[in-house]
Amino acid sequence: RESFQPEPGEWKRFIYNPTSGEFLGRTAKSWGLILLFYLVFYGFLAALFTFTMWVMLQTLNDEVPKYRDQIPSPGLMVFPKPLSALEYTFSASDPSSYRGYIEDLRKFLKPYTLEEQKNLTVCPDGILSEQKGPVYVACQFPIFLLQACSGMSDPDFGYSQGSPCVLVKMNRIIGLKPEGTPRIECIPKDENVASISTYPNNGIIDLKYFPYYGKKLHVGYLQPLVAAQVIFSANSTKKEVTVECKIDGSPNLKNQDDRDKFLGRVAFKIIARA
Amino acid sequence: MRQRKLEIYSVEHHAATDIKKKEGRDGKKDNDLELKRNQQKEELKKELDLDDHKLSNKELETKYGTDIIRGLSSTRAAELLAQNGPNALTPPKQTPEIIKFLKQMVGGFSILLWVGAVLCWIAFGIQYVSNPSASLDSVYLGTVLAVVVILTGIFAYYQEAKSTNIMASFCKMIPQQAVVIRDSEKKVIPAEQLVVGDIVEIKGGDQIPADIRLLSAQGCKVDNSSLTGESEPQSRSSEFTHENPLETKNITFYSTTCLEASTSPVGTATGMVINTGDRTIIGRIASLASGVGNEKTPIAIEIEHFVHIVAGVAVSVGILFFIIAVCMKYHVLDAIIFLIAIIVANVPEGLLATVTVALSLTAKRMAKKNCLVKNLEAVETLGSTSIICSDKTGTLTQNRMTVAHLWFDNQIFVADTSEDNLNQGFDQSSGTWTSLSKIIALCNRAEFKPGQESVPIMKRVVVGDASETALLKFSEVILGDVMEIRKRNHKVVEIPFNSTNKFQLSIHQTEDPNDKRFLLVMKGAPERILEKCSTIMINGKEQPLDKSMAQAFHTAYMELGGLGERVLGFCHFYLPADEFPETYSFDSESMNFPTSNLCFVGLLSMIDPPRSTVPDAVTKCRSAGIKVIMVTGDHPITAKAIAKSVGIISANSETVEDIAKRCNIAVEQVNKRDAKAAVVTGMELKDMSPEQLDELLANYPEIVFARTSPQQKLIIVEGCQRQDAVVAVTGDGVNDSPALKKADIGVAMGITGSDAAKNAADMILLDDNFSSIVTGVEEGRLIFDNLKKTIAYTLTKNIAELCPFLIYIILGLPLPIGTITLLFIDLGTDIIPSIALAYEKAESDIMNRKPRHKKKDRLVNQQLAVYSYLHIGLMQALGAFLVYFTVYAQQGFRPTSLFHLRIAWDSDHLNDLEDNYGQEWTSYQRQYLEWTGYTAFFVGIMVQQIADLIIRKTRKNSIFKQGLFRNKVIWVGIASQIIVALLLSYGLGSITALNFTMLKAQYWFVAVPHAILIWVYDEMRKLFIRLYPGSWWDKNMYY
Repeated sequence: RESFQPEPGEWKRFIYNPTSGEFLGRTAKSWGLILLFYLVFYGFLAALFTFTMWVMLQTLNDEVPKYRDQIPSPGLMVFPKPLSALEYTFSASDPSSYRGYIEDLRKFLKPYTLEEQKNLTVCPDGILSEQKGPVYVACQFPIFLLQACSGMSDPDFGYSQGSPCVLVKMNRIIGLKPEGTPRIECIPKDENVASISTYPNNGIIDLKYFPYYGKKLHVGYLQPLVAAQVIFSANSTKKEVTVECKIDGSPNLKNQDDRDKFLGRVAFKIIARA
Repeated sequence: MRQRKLEIYSVEHHAATDIKKKEGRDGKKDNDLELKRNQQKEELKKELDLDDHKLSNKELETKYGTDIIRGLSSTRAAELLAQNGPNALTPPKQTPEIIKFLKQMVGGFSILLWVGAVLCWIAFGIQYVSNPSASLDSVYLGTVLAVVVILTGIFAYYQEAKSTNIMASFCKMIPQQAVVIRDSEKKVIPAEQLVVGDIVEIKGGDQIPADIRLLSAQGCKVDNSSLTGESEPQSRSSEFTHENPLETKNITFYSTTCLEASTSPVGTATGMVINTGDRTIIGRIASLASGVGNEKTPIAIEIEHFVHIVAGVAVSVGILFFIIAVCMKYHVLDAIIFLIAIIVANVPEGLLATVTVALSLTAKRMAKKNCLVKNLEAVETLGSTSIICSDKTGTLTQNRMTVAHLWFDNQIFVADTSEDNLNQGFDQSSGTWTSLSKIIALCNRAEFKPGQESVPIMKRVVVGDASETALLKFSEVILGDVMEIRKRNHKVVEIPFNSTNKFQLSIHQTEDPNDKRFLLVMKGAPERILEKCSTIMINGKEQPLDKSMAQAFHTAYMELGGLGERVLGFCHFYLPADEFPETYSFDSESMNFPTSNLCFVGLLSMIDPPRSTVPDAVTKCRSAGIKVIMVTGDHPITAKAIAKSVGIISANSETVEDIAKRCNIAVEQVNKRDAKAAVVTGMELKDMSPEQLDELLANYPEIVFARTSPQQKLIIVEGCQRQDAVVAVTGDGVNDSPALKKADIGVAMGITGSDAAKNAADMILLDDNFSSIVTGVEEGRLIFDNLKKTIAYTLTKNIAELCPFLIYIILGLPLPIGTITLLFIDLGTDIIPSIALAYEKAESDIMNRKPRHKKKDRLVNQQLAVYSYLHIGLMQALGAFLVYFTVYAQQGFRPTSLFHLRIAWDSDHLNDLEDNYGQEWTSYQRQYLEWTGYTAFFVGIMVQQIADLIIRKTRKNSIFKQGLFRNKVIWVGIASQIIVALLLSYGLGSITALNFTMLKAQYWFVAVPHAILIWVYDEMRKLFIRLYPGSWWDKNMYY
């Protein structure tokens, strides 16, 4: 109470003063009172905070977040996920260089196996599958649509042939209803180096997978995928290409934003070593 | 007399050795200073060898290459001016502006922020080396920090400069003029341009423009009080009378005043300039004063203490969490960034600027009340003052002689001595009064300067000495036009007052045309006048002056003298018409008229009366626990009388001498503990050891020092400071300047004060009125209280700003608030409210409590820090977190999912982070949400700071007692907070560089319950403090 900075010589006495029995400037009783006070005070504050948080949580809905204004338009993301930047380096002759990618893809595609999908509904193509609930059904996404990249015909997803597959997916957003005919278009930066094949054909994303009703209601939901296979030109010596994929054909899905480089588009780099 | 003068002459030596002694005690010897001081002393000694007073006029002419009749030539004068510089005292060495500016740049918290900025840049440098595409965030932050430091520095510098400028403009108000003979012509030039060898003319009333060797002067008198402290006028002539240049009559000194030079043939005295500017005696004393170290102001010490506490907390928390972060395997660079953020969160960037503004607001308010503060920090010093050493003349008194008492008809009458002097209510019906009033009016050489008919009598300018002026004004008030009376009673002869006669006499024709007798009127020292009388007038009738009458006279004389008043006796005599016919030729030389067996009429006593506001002011000081000590060069009896009449010695307290007299015992027998008051003369003080002085100062609550010399003032001040007191000193003379400088706050008189005194002082009383000091005390105390509130307000949010970083580091939540956003609280929303607290009115009568103890009552004490940080601050943090969690939860990230989300959240490559509802977020979308979180947290703090602002209005009383709306500026502050926040959120929402987004309207209200809780909690705290004063609660919760 007396002073914030006792004189250097007084430190010892400040820590323990035998005459007054003060420890760190307070007697045991005083410390006791202080500790008791803070125990009660902080106990009260903690209870109060918990209560206000509880009240706040009561305003939430389990199925749909209260606001969705911060994610009006979906981002694009690719699989497999490289560790740092979106760069895939592999060597067709060295399976260990791409084993990680293949495992990642297999894991990602696991829910898409026929076995997993057998309980899902077959939905009509080309129209939104709007539902009223209370039970929401998920549409099947037949994995064969990914053709060469489905992993069914080629368990190495093209990596062993030097034509790797990369899956492109659109971020899930609850209630999003794409207009028009959305498709993913992937273009290599240098067309002389490589060409891209997209599956399903044209990179079509079928409207039947929309809208999404949320994790809790929409059990088993599978988001539509597009696979991009990079095929290097035989005559090109350089086996390195940057690929840009973006959503096209839907007026309400943005693919151009100065700040958000992943809004409706994604760019990745493939480096195939000899 | 001579001895005293010698003592005064040694002012410089005493002061110099005192300083030396002090230096030695401090153990910090600055050799350079020492050397300089020795040189100064040497120079002073050399000055003693000044021999101009011994030289003849011819020799002087050769020495200075001038001509007494024709003066210097203009060209020669110009040369000398260029060579020796202007004839002005060099103002005390100013700190160069650039140094002042740089001090602002590194003072206080600035150094901490500079370190932060540099660390930011270094961190970026390291990042850049390893990864050229590193984000520029830390460069921005470093730059912003640097800009903040520079801006606040510039602001504080500007504030300081502004108040200094007021001062500068004040000092340069009246340029002094001098009449000089150059090129055989009389010219009026600014006194600054005088050079050595100039022949100058001096009239009565002029300030002596330089050190001057008089060449011709008659009846010239100078007032040397500003140099030596003597209030008696000193006569000066052209003769060499003393070896010592200070005592010889033919030298007058710079900045002293010439009182009269009227009997010289041309009405002026002529002299040759022998020293100018800093080489004058006064210049030397003034430069000595600048050698007395300036003490740090109490508020500067307090602010330093507070800066240490806050900086200590900031650095230790910062380093603690740096270590924790490193232990938690954070990258070192990240840990450095955390460290910077913690420091920024902990440092109230805007506070020092706010304090400066609050102080300058008070300075402005005080200037309006005639207290001009030179040094901004000095505004608070008066508030903590515990001893005021006040001058008497001019400060406590009106500085003019006024008739106080009359004795006639064997009765004492009291005259009105208030400033306007208008209700002279004593009985004027007696015939004696008629005669007395006639003598007063006629036996008087003083005259009003013409052309002042519209000026109130008491304010008119009079040519004549102080007593005669008093008598002239007194009779003018009572009788009307004195000049007219004198005209009607034509003066035929007069003998002016001189020190051998000790009387003044004149003979007049009477205004009654039938009465052909001449009237002889005489005034002078009462005992001398009585000797010359054989009769006395009682009720208009002449009676023989018998023994009992003479006894009555003596009793009255002693009584009035005992009041410290200057007493004059008056007598008259009608010369018999047969002996002195109308044609009689009177001769003042041979005195061919009777000067004995006259008729005694009455006594009249005069005093320099106290200002009417002073007793009240002294009482206020008393109740404010301030000891008022009078220090004067005047006579002890007069000093004591004035001290009693203004309450410095209260009515029922006695000195040792009083007790001795009352009990009729020897002074030595009196128990010193019985006496409350003490009157100590300079002679007694000289014999006292410092220990005895300490004892005196400690034991007597009421002390008057009389007959003190200037250096004794310094000793008294030092004695008071040894008592751990904060000492204020008032003074006006050059000789006061060392004491003014030494005091914790020197108060100079604005009207009568010399420039040297004003230079040495921290504060100037524009109206020379002691009661203005009381205003200063009140304002000083108020600002201290209000600064406490301001600081408490500002410190509170530091916890709310700090917690986000700690939680971010430890629990890995997405960052709740950014560093730059913090700066917008510290320098945006919080600035005006914290200034508004400076306008808060006092909670209770601050003039009824003791001055704060310099070492115990700190500006920022433990209770303030603990209550702000650990109580309100923590509540604020919780409230702000509530808003933050609400925003995230309503967008899809529930609180529980946020923990340890940091790495994924901050990863730029992760563009499909899933929330609790299965939605996926790109990195930028998360970033935007994070900024919304910043804005929410910011708004949360802002809303609770409004509550904080309101609770800080008082420290003890309920807000409702203080009045919610009395301080309108608080509401301006609240409005500014809200407007700034609205602007940042909605106006600048699109400028993402500032990291603000548009916040939904309802989020502005989420923290309101917490704000209300803060208010309720604080009201409870105050209630318990009021209910249980002195309790555990009071001790721990009152700041």
